[in-house]
Amino acid sequence: MTGAELARMLTAALAAAGEPEAEVYATFAKRGFARFAVGELGQHMQLEDPSVVVRVARHRRVAEASCTVLGEQAIADAIRTAARTAPSVPRDEGFPGFAGPDEPSPLALARYSERTARASAEERVELLSPVFRRIRAAGLLATGVLDTTSRIEAVATSHGLTRSYESTLATFKVWALESAGGSGAAGHGMCAHVDLGALDLEAQTELAVTDALRSRNAGSLPAGQYDTVLGALALAELVEWLAMIGLGARELEQGLSPLSGRLGQRITAESFDLMEDPLGAHAFAAPFDREGVARRQVPLIRAGVAQGVVHDRTTAARAGVGSTGNASAPGGFGAGGPSPSSLVVQGGSAESVDELIGGIERGLYVRRLHYVNGYLEPRRAVMTGLSRDGTFLIEGGKVTKPIESMRFTDSLLEALERSDGMTRALTVAPNWWSAGGSVAAPAVRIRGLNFSSGSRQK
Amino acid sequence: MAAPAKARDLCSAALRRAEQHAQVTHVEVRWLSEQSERLRVRDGAPDGISSGRSAGFSVRLIASGAWGFACTGDAAEAAVHRMVDEAVAIARASARLSEKPVRFPPRGGEVGEYSTPLEIDPFTVPLETKLADLATPEAELRRGGAPIHSAEAWMHWTAVDKLLMTSEGTNVSQRLIYGGVGLSAIAVGSDGRMQRRSFPGFPGSEGQQGGYEIVARTGLMAAAPRVRSEAIELLGAEQCPEGVRDVLLGSNQMALQIHESCGHPTELDRALGAEISLAGGSFLQPEDLGKLRYGSEIVTLTADSIAPTGLGTFGWDDEGSPARKAPLVDRGVFVDYLSSRETAAALGRESTATVRADGWNRVPMIRMVNVSLEPRAGSLEDLVADTADGILFDVNQSWSIDDLRLNFQFSCELAWEIKRGKRVRLLRDARYTGMTPRFWQSCDAICGPEEARIWGLMLCGKGDPIQSMAVAHGAPPGRFRKVEVGHT
Repeated sequence: MTGAELARMLTAALAAAGEPEAEVYATFAKRGFARFAVGELGQHMQLEDPSVVVRVARHRRVAEASCTVLGEQAIADAIRTAARTAPSVPRDEGFPGFAGPDEPSPLALARYSERTARASAEERVELLSPVFRRIRAAGLLATGVLDTTSRIEAVATSHGLTRSYESTLATFKVWALESAGGSGAAGHGMCAHVDLGALDLEAQTELAVTDALRSRNAGSLPAGQYDTVLGALALAELVEWLAMIGLGARELEQGLSPLSGRLGQRITAESFDLMEDPLGAHAFAAPFDREGVARRQVPLIRAGVAQGVVHDRTTAARAGVGSTGNASAPGGFGAGGPSPSSLVVQGGSAESVDELIGGIERGLYVRRLHYVNGYLEPRRAVMTGLSRDGTFLIEGGKVTKPIESMRFTDSLLEALERSDGMTRALTVAPNWWSAGGSVAAPAVRIRGLNFSSGSRQK
Repeated sequence: MAAPAKARDLCSAALRRAEQHAQVTHVEVRWLSEQSERLRVRDGAPDGISSGRSAGFSVRLIASGAWGFACTGDAAEAAVHRMVDEAVAIARASARLSEKPVRFPPRGGEVGEYSTPLEIDPFTVPLETKLADLATPEAELRRGGAPIHSAEAWMHWTAVDKLLMTSEGTNVSQRLIYGGVGLSAIAVGSDGRMQRRSFPGFPGSEGQQGGYEIVARTGLMAAAPRVRSEAIELLGAEQCPEGVRDVLLGSNQMALQIHESCGHPTELDRALGAEISLAGGSFLQPEDLGKLRYGSEIVTLTADSIAPTGLGTFGWDDEGSPARKAPLVDRGVFVDYLSSRETAAALGRESTATVRADGWNRVPMIRMVNVSLEPRAGSLEDLVADTADGILFDVNQSWSIDDLRLNFQFSCELAWEIKRGKRVRLLRDARYTGMTPRFWQSCDAICGPEEARIWGLMLCGKGDPIQSMAVAHGAPPGRFRKVEVGHT
């Protein structure tokens, strides 16, 4: 089925159900998912993710129904189910209605690769074979994922709006482990691209092997403040959490966001620019959201000043602004209010991570973070988490030895105030909790990052 | 409740199709149908009233010595045949990378049915009743206005029908019904400081297996005035001072403590390295079995899939292993894992029956069942009275633990300072931190069964692609000596 065929199916279902105020959003993802662990391809799967979510409004009484059958009859039935429910729902005076044909058209973004869409089980195995060989040759254990996903999505409303889109995404994540269970040294590599052929599995595998080998026999450090270089994936994870706690209109309304009551004020370093940029080269998202609204660039923090948050049609109507095209896809982790899809942190001037490391007399280089949580004190964006897959002591501007996992607890915004360098290059990390969501970030050097507990011991 | 005849016929057709492939040595065919309902009222207005249905088939099989998995939402015989053929093709391709063939221990087939005991089927209760049961306590939270800035109440129900048929002769069908209700108030002070209070526990921990009787049992309306006043009181509370104190955990926070520091590290797939790509590994390694002192003598933790109302309760897991209860930690010593048939066999053990998938289109994997702390004796107030200088933490606010499940840090909505056996004041932004075995070894008191509640966590994330599973923890309050505490 193509995206256009799916859109026609939605339109036909709307016509069959005959509801005057209805919206249908449907997606179908087909995923070839090769998940390997400790050198064995134990979870190699062909997954189907169909989803249809309809909303029906009767005099501002809005009800939602969903199903997983992509068929005109089933979708019309879901519309009728929502229609039966709607009269029992209290009126939502803030309901703005569903989008109509006057909604601006989204940009035509080309994010589809035939090679990714057609990747077979044999091809995934073929691509992974040298990965396994390289890691095994280094005396390490291979763990990771090669995911080839093709996706169609479409939106139609009873007011005549119709959108459809087809996309692909290939993702490779690899770990080289000293021992099973994760208690020894580990190195990590990751890349993602629309085109499976553009993934550099060899380079990422080499990175994982190199970091694993130089992470063996890790030492320990006490808690304290350390000048720290956070790798791009570490900063990306912190920015993801910033999005979760505070870059959507709902969190702003509820007073939970670090931006609540501070729009137009400087909230972090002047060097920090953060934008929702679904149209740029660092994004994988569809050009429209579940309401059919075209996504667009949204400045969130510019030169450290809080600029705004992302909106869906409902929060935009309450705020008296236009939707930014960020209605959350239903059913995802944390689904609810509007949320960013494609965050981009503007890079700095450093040509490499080594250049950032060169500016530290004694400190830490943290490749990645684990289990970050940003609910400690959301208004200050206080977060905690642990380093993983490569934590290194920096002495005299050079990495000198590996260190065991350390826990940091600090305010992201206050820590960024103490940053004095970022790489020019960005790394794009797809997130695991929304289809097409991503964060692109540089590596950053932060002075005096607070590590609240030292290395672990049983 | 028996699975529909059509689902049964198609599962049989899938089994027959698999038998036609000569390389296939083991087949599991699943059908799963899920009905769900979600209702939320926020600040006096509906905020998402939805119902959903999802249904489909999956097959997991071993061919040429390797695993293959495929699924389809298409209830047609041709689609089910195609699904089986895809799984076989995947397994055959994967076999080229395998160093050793899958060792999957045989077992006899299981036949039977299981369904959740309940009083009131939640899907028969009128929507108007449900909305009223939310709107009234939500309005109570907002009564009096500022500094209450926002309030919400929610309700969710799920009914899962599933059928498992295997090449070993297993043929089991199950109907599981679960849900929960909760509320939350957010207070914002004139200085912009924010405090949240939630009930009955942290949002997402309120799940129980059962019917609409859960709503009356939870008692949102009775709790709303206290929740509101505590949110307001916290705005004026002092920050939790840094230091080393005795820590008491209320039942809800104890549930999360068990979840993160016992549930996850006892998952055998993690311990063997299969979950590194999202969740991490485990400090509990096979050589520690029967030797490692995980906790003090009074600490016994069990993997239990038979406890009434627990979200981890069922008749059989998704590999056909029957429900059971067995210790993971016995009088302080680590003695077993949450395991599957394949992982348990790797250690020469039997599965502890914990394998589940979160839907028809995901592969089954080791998940927590009801991982519970065995109660001892005494009430929470007895424990408070017995504490000279401590802090009682309850209702989680933030959680973080390292990739081996050793170094944890939790903050809670509620932190009562205890002096000379009495609660003297609420503290805000309170956190405690520790290392798992040292923390559990410092446990010197666990309350009795009258204080233990089974908390159902609705969104335990694991796997890649992420699977969201409903799990549970029986959790009596307890006390831990000399723990590092502070503020966020």
